[in-house]
Amino acid sequence: MMDGLIGDRERHRILMVSDFFYPNFGGVESHIYCLSQCLLKLGHKVVVMTHVYGNRSGVRYMTNGLKVYYIPWRPFLMQNTLPTIYGTLPIIRTILIRERITLVHGHSAFSTLCHEALIHARTMGYKVIFTDHSLYGFADVGSIHMNKVLQFTLADVSQAICVSHTSKENTVLRSGLPPEKVFVIPNAVDTAMFTPAPENPRSNDEIIIVVISRLVYRKGADLLVEVIPEVCRLYPHVRFVVGGDGPKRVRLEEMREKHFLQDRVEMLGAVPHSRVRSILVSGHIFLNSSLTEAFCIAILEAASCGLLTVSTRVGGVPEVLPDDMVVLAEPDPVDMVQAIKKAITILPTIDPQDMHKRVKKLYDWHDVARRTEIVYDRAMKCSNQNLLERLSRYLSCGSWAGKLFCLVMIIDFLLFHLLQLVQPAIDIEEVPNMVMSLGEGSTAGDDIPEQSSR
Amino acid sequence: MGENSFAHRKYTYFHDQKYPCEAIDIHHIEVQSNGAKGVFVSLLAAIVVGNALYLVLVKEKSVTLLFSSFLLWAFLRKLLLGKPVKKESVVIMPTLGVQLETLYLSGRIMRQFVPVSKILKPVLQECVTPVTCYWSLSLVMREEEELAPVFKVRLLMEIRKRNYVHH
Repeated sequence: MMDGLIGDRERHRILMVSDFFYPNFGGVESHIYCLSQCLLKLGHKVVVMTHVYGNRSGVRYMTNGLKVYYIPWRPFLMQNTLPTIYGTLPIIRTILIRERITLVHGHSAFSTLCHEALIHARTMGYKVIFTDHSLYGFADVGSIHMNKVLQFTLADVSQAICVSHTSKENTVLRSGLPPEKVFVIPNAVDTAMFTPAPENPRSNDEIIIVVISRLVYRKGADLLVEVIPEVCRLYPHVRFVVGGDGPKRVRLEEMREKHFLQDRVEMLGAVPHSRVRSILVSGHIFLNSSLTEAFCIAILEAASCGLLTVSTRVGGVPEVLPDDMVVLAEPDPVDMVQAIKKAITILPTIDPQDMHKRVKKLYDWHDVARRTEIVYDRAMKCSNQNLLERLSRYLSCGSWAGKLFCLVMIIDFLLFHLLQLVQPAIDIEEVPNMVMSLGEGSTAGDDIPEQSSR
Repeated sequence: MGENSFAHRKYTYFHDQKYPCEAIDIHHIEVQSNGAKGVFVSLLAAIVVGNALYLVLVKEKSVTLLFSSFLLWAFLRKLLLGKPVKKESVVIMPTLGVQLETLYLSGRIMRQFVPVSKILKPVLQECVTPVTCYWSLSLVMREEEELAPVFKVRLLMEIRKRNYVHH
């Protein structure tokens, strides 16, 4: 099978890189997975690279032949690989050559593996795309350093993708990227999985408010502690279901005991992703109290299940749903209680099936994949630059930082050429194209995928 | 050695056809040692030891510096050259089992026999290490957690796969 054109479009061979992938569950992970599956359906070849998870090391295959490399670099902090800068150069080069990759797509600014892969891919002359999934601050020490690293990585990226307009503004300001290089492609939701309950669960007057999030500061767990007792006091027929776990769970448990709300507030603990839908359809209103969000897939999942959403007006949240599907409030307890009050009054006008149909029309992973394909085509058209031209971009990053970044890239360039001498590209065998037909003996993700050579 | 041999880069594959295939089937892969690596390591040795000698004789630093430089050179040599393999062979006896043989540059031979009752299946596997990724032909054995590696395969496209497992 030759790389060529599918119809008028070019067929790409994409390497998705991130520290965050299955078996971890989260926004970035499901984004990478869903996007990869849709790109595979469009005819492109996708390979994912991530670090080792527990015993899961080596090559694994997922649905539709999605190949995943779990490279044996242990995570050292918050699921991130140890940043050795040049340590991952050999293995990244080997994977890029053996899979005949044309394009490298990195995800998440928090992922050290992503940053390293993007730098090395640029040194080796590949086109590079970066998707930013989160908003970040500017003020504290951690943010300042993080932004400097991002500025370095993105100084030479071919194109960038953000998940909302707010996120684009944030990324452009943090990294100094020209806005023309940044595309906005919102996330989507798997509407086939998140369907509303077949019959309307409004048999009695009770209203159930569902909260599913990690119970951490960023997700506004402290706001919940203020809001829940007030709402329970004002509305005796309202119950809360809280799913998720985290450091702030203790505060919520204390709140329950202090206000005697054990029968009105149910704490479910950590909820596996497969059970999220069943918990959502048991409720009427979804409450999201995040203090910062680039895009909120959670409220999209809730809307897909037919729930009315009450959320804080932060980050990219106002861009996600139409005004009649969401009630927004400032991240302040009083304002949020007002918003819940408004939501309860408009609840009888909501039709879950209708809401689900509208979300299905608005958000679709296949649409995201098609738009991403356009970004890939644009990236491939970017001109190839030699080292000197690229160094000038790094120099503009700052008076000291610019020179440091230039030095890092020059060393990377030298190491790359040394590696080409020690391990010539012709010695690295390319992987034959494996065509997976339906019903073929599937690889169930265990150690030994059996393959045949041609 | 037989017909049915071909070379690819620094590896040469032979298929021994002295004996009938059904009784004994023998395959060899021979490695031509890489001259460039050897030169590089010698150069490195010259630099490290030369530097140490200079420091000891001219600048009059302690002699332990010379010993530690030797150790450093030995470590670097081990890291870069590893265990130099000259030839790997597989002897397949369908009724008895498979014998894996490795011949090192130093003349040492290492053999391992796997009885046929223990072999479940041969597999072509991609091995991922922190610095590289390569194909390997391995045997899946019953009641063993690890696979027995047969060849570190660089001739994947050219070796025709034959199924030798007789149940």
